[in-house]
Amino acid sequence: MNENELKLLWQSANEKLESSLQVNKKNTDEITRLKAKNVLASMKPVKVMTLIVGFVWVIGLGSILGNLIANHLGEASLFFLLSATIQVLLTAIAIVVYVYQLALINSIDFSEPVLTIQEKISKLKISTLNVTRLLFLQLPIWTTFYWNDKMFVAENWLLWILQGMVTILFTLVALWLFFNIKYENRNKKWFQWIFRGKEWQPILQSMELLNQIDNYQQQDEENASH
Amino acid sequence: MVFGTMISNNELNDKFHQIIEQHKGVLFKIAKAYCQNDDDRQDLLQEMMIQVWKSLPKYNDTFAITTWLYRICLNVAISFYRKSATRQHLNIPLVEELTSIRDEESNEKQEQLSLLEKFISELNDFDKALMLLYLEDKSHSEISEIMGLSVSNVGTKLGRIKEKLKKKFSQFTS
Repeated sequence: MNENELKLLWQSANEKLESSLQVNKKNTDEITRLKAKNVLASMKPVKVMTLIVGFVWVIGLGSILGNLIANHLGEASLFFLLSATIQVLLTAIAIVVYVYQLALINSIDFSEPVLTIQEKISKLKISTLNVTRLLFLQLPIWTTFYWNDKMFVAENWLLWILQGMVTILFTLVALWLFFNIKYENRNKKWFQWIFRGKEWQPILQSMELLNQIDNYQQQDEENASH
Repeated sequence: MVFGTMISNNELNDKFHQIIEQHKGVLFKIAKAYCQNDDDRQDLLQEMMIQVWKSLPKYNDTFAITTWLYRICLNVAISFYRKSATRQHLNIPLVEELTSIRDEESNEKQEQLSLLEKFISELNDFDKALMLLYLEDKSHSEISEIMGLSVSNVGTKLGRIKEKLKKKFSQFTS
């Protein structure tokens, strides 16, 4: 089948399609009454729930910590205070970054050229990985919040060694993940293992799109250089 | 000039209805190429119309309305993630009454059309957009404006896609 036959086949079928499509005015009016969707309305309930839990966690634990620091600083364990404060701060930053990125995605103007917009959306979606990186940074904190002064006596050297090894290991893993979770490593096995769940599909799909955009842009550069 | 600064809300509603009426085929064809599943297609059509409606006040009449519309619909179709959002289900204004027409087509033509649709659906998202625009008889410069590619890149890419389709057709018919 040659090019003209292809086009003719497509167009003859579509002429009939166009005449068979009916537009219902009442239903288009229904669309015009829709308010612009807000960020939360565009999210899956499970993600909204996660955000709410995160928000309550930050406010709740933040208030307890605030109270401890203000009124009982001498009584509370410094290790607990420091670990919990870092954890709350990292969670709060992750929530703010996540909501900000979602708001940016929702406010994109779809009437710009296709490749420009797709590149913008894909990069924004992929940047939600930063939230995961931040959350991984919390790993070592879960091994330090229960420390107390009594642990630091000479007789406890075995406990010290064990505890130190666990904390160092968690710190190294957290730092390694923080620096290595990025688009460039998307094809690595460990990356695909971490992000294998269904909830990561939009991000992986964005990576695939970005790959296609790269191919298109490379072609543009090749054409320009010839 | 930006559209929303010139006209009232009622006029904006009328304009929206008029655009959907005049270009209903564009919306439907794009939705059909990007979604094989009927429910997903309905969701995608709804999403496209919502974006057209949201973008209408910002429409700049220095662009052809078709360029503007293709950009929106293709952008929505490509970034549309099936079932990823909680949608308020509306009655979709577009209804297809195609079954009876398809029956009248000759079997051979119908078969070729189904093959073409199948091959297009197998292309990646951007190749699919290029092929749709090509089949809609858009010039290379119009396609470059919609896609944000250079005219020469449109030519190169289209050449490759057509070659790919030709091979698939010949494999199927031989």
